[in-house]
Amino acid sequence: MSSSSSQSVPDETSNYDEFSMQQSLLFSDSLKDLKNLRAQLYSAAEYFELSYTNDDQKQMVMDTLKEYAIKALINTVDHLGSVTYKVNGLLDENVEEVSGTEFRVSCIEQRLRTCQEFIDHEGLSQQSLVITTPKYHKRYLLPGKYTHHCFFFLLLEFARLQLLKTYCGSLNFSSVGETMLGSGRTVPKNQWCSLDDEDDWHQFKNAVQSTIIESPSSSVRKGRSPSPRPRPPQNLGTFSFTEKRTIPEKRAPSPQRSRFPLLRSGSFSSKTSSPLKSRPTTPLSSRPITPTNTRQRYTLEPKKSASMRLHAERESSKETEHNMSKSKRLLKALLSRRKTKKDESLYTFLDEY
Amino acid sequence: MSRAGGVGITNAVNVGIAVQADWENREFISNLSLNVLRLFEFLTQFEATTKSKLANLNEKLNTLERHLELLEVQVSTASANPSLFN
Repeated sequence: MSSSSSQSVPDETSNYDEFSMQQSLLFSDSLKDLKNLRAQLYSAAEYFELSYTNDDQKQMVMDTLKEYAIKALINTVDHLGSVTYKVNGLLDENVEEVSGTEFRVSCIEQRLRTCQEFIDHEGLSQQSLVITTPKYHKRYLLPGKYTHHCFFFLLLEFARLQLLKTYCGSLNFSSVGETMLGSGRTVPKNQWCSLDDEDDWHQFKNAVQSTIIESPSSSVRKGRSPSPRPRPPQNLGTFSFTEKRTIPEKRAPSPQRSRFPLLRSGSFSSKTSSPLKSRPTTPLSSRPITPTNTRQRYTLEPKKSASMRLHAERESSKETEHNMSKSKRLLKALLSRRKTKKDESLYTFLDEY
Repeated sequence: MSRAGGVGITNAVNVGIAVQADWENREFISNLSLNVLRLFEFLTQFEATTKSKLANLNEKLNTLERHLELLEVQVSTASANPSLFN
């Protein structure tokens, strides 16, 4: 089949070539006849002129001339008709061929335009991938407007601190919290926010602190001073292992402080101006922030009685268990928190604090 | 008199026949000239049509030539910069 088809195609092409050759030969013959027609007509006219003048039978010459003229005219018309038809055919073939070529060229141009558009699109996508646009989340910016989100961030930080306290019981929790929020170096910044510059980090930290201080919905400030002064940033990052070694031996850990380590004001004057009379087991002077505070705490520690220490230890153990259960619930709520549904459950849980 | 009258009538008939033949010849020549004129008119019209077709074909060929030159330049530019295909 394939051989027959392969043979049929050359046969068709050879037939087409033969047909076209015959047509071209006929066209060239008709063109030659048209070229020779003029000379034949001139020679016939000279012959009839001589015969009309020399011959006696002029009527017969006249009739022959008429017949020859009619036949010559008809032959000329036939030749011209065939030649013009062939010329029209050739022109139409060429026009069609040119139209087909134009179509092919337009297809090639369209392909080129498509390729150019694709190349432009790919280049644009590559360039857009190269350019890393900064990504700022709303909850980490604009401290005046998005206090709610800042508070949520602080709660996340609080949950982290609770976990740290749970697994590192011997570590001074307030110091850890201060270190994490105060210095801003121990907290992985890329994990929590996208604040790159140190100034932005300090600004954000101040905004969070001001948000927590000014947030009316949080019950964190219950029993606290009405207007605690925010701690200066240069004092937040102080952390010493000597303080961490001495503090658990001398007093029990304060559950209130461990619950809200970031809300404490570091100034000694504000604590003295607004003493916490409702919770005597949590002395305010126990914050290892500045050397002056440490000195003050050393002066106050011998005044505590043994009964108070035992009572404080019991309460602290209970509070620790309560805080652990609460922190677990908080972590579950935070982990199961989604954007649409679970804000209410989280905030109802947060209202418990 | 009768003989002269008969010759005159014969001459008149001959003249009439000659005139009729002359008119027939004129008619033949006029028809032949008319057909030749029609043939010439056809040839003139055919020339005009063929010239317009050839002009359109020439214009299309020129456009195609320019397009092909543009495509050749684009292809040569693209082939000269192989980094575009990477």
